[in-house]
This record gives sequence, structure tokens and C-alpha cells, in this order.
Amino acid sequence: MNEPLLVLDNVTKNYGAIEALKGISFSIGKGEVVALLGDNGAGKSTLVKIIAGGLEPTSGRMLFEGKDFLARSPAEAKAAGIETVYQDLSLCTNVDVVANFFMGREITRKVFGIPVLDERAMEAVVGKALASAGTRIPSLRTNVEHLSGGQRQAIELNRFVHWGGKLVLLDEPFAALGVEQTRRGLDMIRQVANQGIGVVIITHIMQQAFQVADRIVVIRQGVVAGDVARNKTSPDAVINMITGETLAGAGPTG
Amino acid sequence: MNPRTRRALEFVLDNLVWFMLLFVLVVFSIFVPNYFQLGIFANIIEASSVLGVMSIGLALVIIAGHMDLSVESVAALSAMAVGILFCSSGIGLGVQLYPEWLMVPVSLLLALAVGGLIGAFNGYLVVKVKMSAFIITLASYIWVRGLVLVISGGRSAQDLAPAIRWFGIQRLVGLPLTAWIAVGCFVVFSLIMAKTPFGRHLVMIGGNETATFRAGIRVNRNLIIAFVLAGSIAGLAGWLLAIRTSGATANLGVGLLFNAFAAVVIGGVSLKGGVGTLPGVYAGVLLLSAINTAINLMGLPANFTQVIHGLLVLAAVLLDAFKQTIRQRLA
Repeated sequence: MNEPLLVLDNVTKNYGAIEALKGISFSIGKGEVVALLGDNGAGKSTLVKIIAGGLEPTSGRMLFEGKDFLARSPAEAKAAGIETVYQDLSLCTNVDVVANFFMGREITRKVFGIPVLDERAMEAVVGKALASAGTRIPSLRTNVEHLSGGQRQAIELNRFVHWGGKLVLLDEPFAALGVEQTRRGLDMIRQVANQGIGVVIITHIMQQAFQVADRIVVIRQGVVAGDVARNKTSPDAVINMITGETLAGAGPTG
Repeated sequence: MNPRTRRALEFVLDNLVWFMLLFVLVVFSIFVPNYFQLGIFANIIEASSVLGVMSIGLALVIIAGHMDLSVESVAALSAMAVGILFCSSGIGLGVQLYPEWLMVPVSLLLALAVGGLIGAFNGYLVVKVKMSAFIITLASYIWVRGLVLVISGGRSAQDLAPAIRWFGIQRLVGLPLTAWIAVGCFVVFSLIMAKTPFGRHLVMIGGNETATFRAGIRVNRNLIIAFVLAGSIAGLAGWLLAIRTSGATANLGVGLLFNAFAAVVIGGVSLKGGVGTLPGVYAGVLLLSAINTAINLMGLPANFTQVIHGLLVLAAVLLDAFKQTIRQRLA
């Protein structure tokens, strides 16, 4: 692994008396795809929210590009170059595809000093981005509420590919996708990683993790139960780590 | 369905209120004697200026997914503040400024500031303290009206300074300047909502607040601005109301809130947030005003108005549901 992009050092999160994360430490390199696995309630989503600025950790520290990092809001994380695709889709169904694609980053031009939305420029960018990803949506001006689940998820995925940044967090991004779209989504992840962007993907599907990840990190009951390179492990070994049949931190097996 | 009919159908759906307004005007013009006159149409616009301005602020907050029940009382308080300072009889203090025109910006700023302050108060409690907008603004609706009663002692102020009244008397192309101010507000705020990032963000916040927060939009800041705007706009409505009545009474504007709600809903704004446009709201306001005028002309007792407004709101909600089904079929 080359130079680490994000380092987590003993990150914890308590909800009152409940310890959701008991001390998570691992790192992500540039251009590396890390699959984050773990049973329901293991703390994966909590961890992603902490990195993405949706939650603040109780203790521990993070280094992003070698510097101390703590995002107090999603806006701060975005500014630092961290893009997130959440499990429950983050789309505003009451506006059209273009507005969703540019949410919070609209292209504007000044008219008498007032920023005015440049719809034509935005539509052109979205059209190009969707076309290059092979996503077909009848009209970019349709409100998202009229699109199918797969089309919605495709918009989210294309959005992160387009904005890129330095680190991408994907929380179960393929939950609503069909076989073909999932394959394309996995290709997109590889493509993004090849540009030197770090990718963290949470998934429940072992096959996907082995298809796309360079490294597999397993979280169990709020601690890292395993951190292994993909080519040094097997699905069975990982399942054992998830369910706890192997000792925590046992490392490479199989 | 070919693209052209589809686009035509979408256009009709998007502007349904305007077609309703047109339909109502045509029907009244045919069946109500003396309805079809320029003077009547001018009167419809003129009579709706206060309600129209107030509806803009209410619509902004509702589109952003919240609620402001206090607009009516805020308008009354602003009107009373202007009335007490610049009226010369009743409880008016008859403050004079020289040159006289100076009273116009001063009274206007006063009205906007009073409204803005209450809006900021509402917004702070709703956004930062995370209390329900319905409850907070209901409380404001009550205490602000109470404040109007307290500062006026239940009495009224009359004879507003002529320099300010001028806006209600001076006409431009058949309409008093106050009506033009209302029309101007609709144009300006329609543009803000449709063409600027701020307006776009408000609509998206109303649609999915979590998503906009995650996207890095400063949700709290935008919402507080929306509440301050709603308050200030209500203040402007109060200023117009004071001009219209040449003063202020303790119960000025009572009942306007429900008309504003009716206009906003008829105009196609969803109370769930995220849906609706200001031109639609203006059509809703004009529709109510057109119906009121018809009732007056036909010599029906004014008590009928409320029944008709209520039924109209009901019809608007049903129509909205119907529109949704059609749209789903279009997509």
C-alpha cells in the first residue's frame, strides 16, 4: 500500500452508555478500494457518518492526507474532498435530475451581481456525465420522484463519480440495482480508484466485496475484527471474522 | 403519447391555477352583470395586494417544509407600529419628519424590521432549538396579536401622514402604487425562488432536509433566512394595510391568515413542503379576489365568501391529488 490517505486512530463513538464504536483503527491508501464488512449493528454506518461529517466521534483522531482531520458537518467533509453515497438515498425527489446532480454546488452566473442558476450549463454537464456512464434517463428535467429505484441510485453513483474528490464513501450503494447496473457500478468504482481516489464501500454481499476491493476490513461489535488483503483471504474466512468464530484481530487466514 | 402532447399536458398541469383563474373570470364575465369591466379587474388586483404580499412569505416557509402561522399578527403589529408613529388622530403620535418623504422609508423600514425581528425569533426557535414550527408560530400568532392590543390599548390610530398615504392614492396605469408593490414582490420573489441557488435550496430543503444537509447546503442558515423573510414580508403587508385603511385598529387584518393559507394551497403549494411556485400562489390570490368581487357584485351576503373559500381549498387539495395521478402516468 502506498501513502495513506485517511488514517483512523482509535476512533470511538458512544450513544449515552452504549458504545457503538469501541476504538476503530485502520487506514485507506490513495487509489485503494477498501470493503467494510460486518453484521447489522456492527457500527459500519456510524463509522461512515463520522468520516463524512454527519456525526462527531466521542474520542480518537483521524488523519487526512497526513493532517489532523475532523469534519463537523458534511459541508466540511466535502470541502476536504470526501464524497459520500448513503444507504438511504440522498436525493430530493421533488426536483429534477439536474438539480439533484448539482445539489449545493450549482453553476451560477452573475446577473447584476446576483448569482443566477445557469440551467443550460448544468444540464449539459449532467447529460455528458450520465451518457459516459451509460445511464439512460428519459428526460433530465423529470422530477426524481417519477424515476425508478435503479435510476435514482444511478444518479447518486454518477454524482460521486463526477465530483470525485479524494475519498469516496459508499454505504451499500447497490441495494436497489439490477445485475447489469451493479456490474457497471463496480466498474465505476474501479475506474474512480484508478484515478487515485480512495474508496470505502460498505456491502453485505461478499461476492461484491471480493470483486472490487483491494482490502477487506471487518468490523464486529465496534472493533476491527479483521484487516486483510483480498488476495490473502477467502469468503469463508471473512464470514468467520464477521460472525466472530475467529479471534478479533486474527489477521490473514486461509 | 407523443412528446408534444405530453409537453402540452405538463404545461397545463404546471399552470392549472392560472387556467382555473381564466375559467372563473370568463364564467363570471358571462353570467355576472357588470363584471366584465377594466375597473373590476383592476379592483380584483387592488383588493388582493395585502393578501398577496402576505401569501408570499407564508408560501416561502411552507415550500421550505415549515409553517408560519404568525404572519397575520405580525402584519397587524407592523401596521400598528406605523399607525402609532405616523397617524395624527386617535392614539397616533403624529410624528413629523422633514422633508416629508422621509416618512416613507422610515415607516417602511420600521414595518420590515418589526416583522423581521419576529421572524428571526420564530426561526431561531424552530431551527436551533428544534421546536415544531406549528407550535412556535401559533404562539407568536397569539402573543403578537396580544402585543397589538397592549400597545394600542384596544383603540385605533387614524389619519396616516399624507406622504405615506400617497402610495395608496397615486395611480399608475389604473392601479394604485400599493398594488404595484404587491405585483413587484411577486415578480422579485418568483425570480428568487426559480432562478437563484437560495431559492433552489429552499425547495430542496422542503423536499428532503437530510439530503440537503448531507450535500453540504447550510440548511439552518437558509431556514432562518426564510423565517426572517416571511416576517419581513408580513411587515410589508402590514405597511400596505396601514396605508389602505389610513391607520390601524387593534383587530386589523383578523382572518387574513386563513385566506393566505387558502391562496397558498389553491396556488398549488403542498403543505408537506417542497412543492409549489409563487406565480401559482399569485393566481390563487387573484382567484380568491375574483370570487369575492363576484359575490359583491351579485349582492350575495358577504357571509357566503367563507363557505366558498372553504370549498375552494377542498377542491384545490382534491385537484392536487388528481394532478399527482396524471403525472405518475406521464412519467
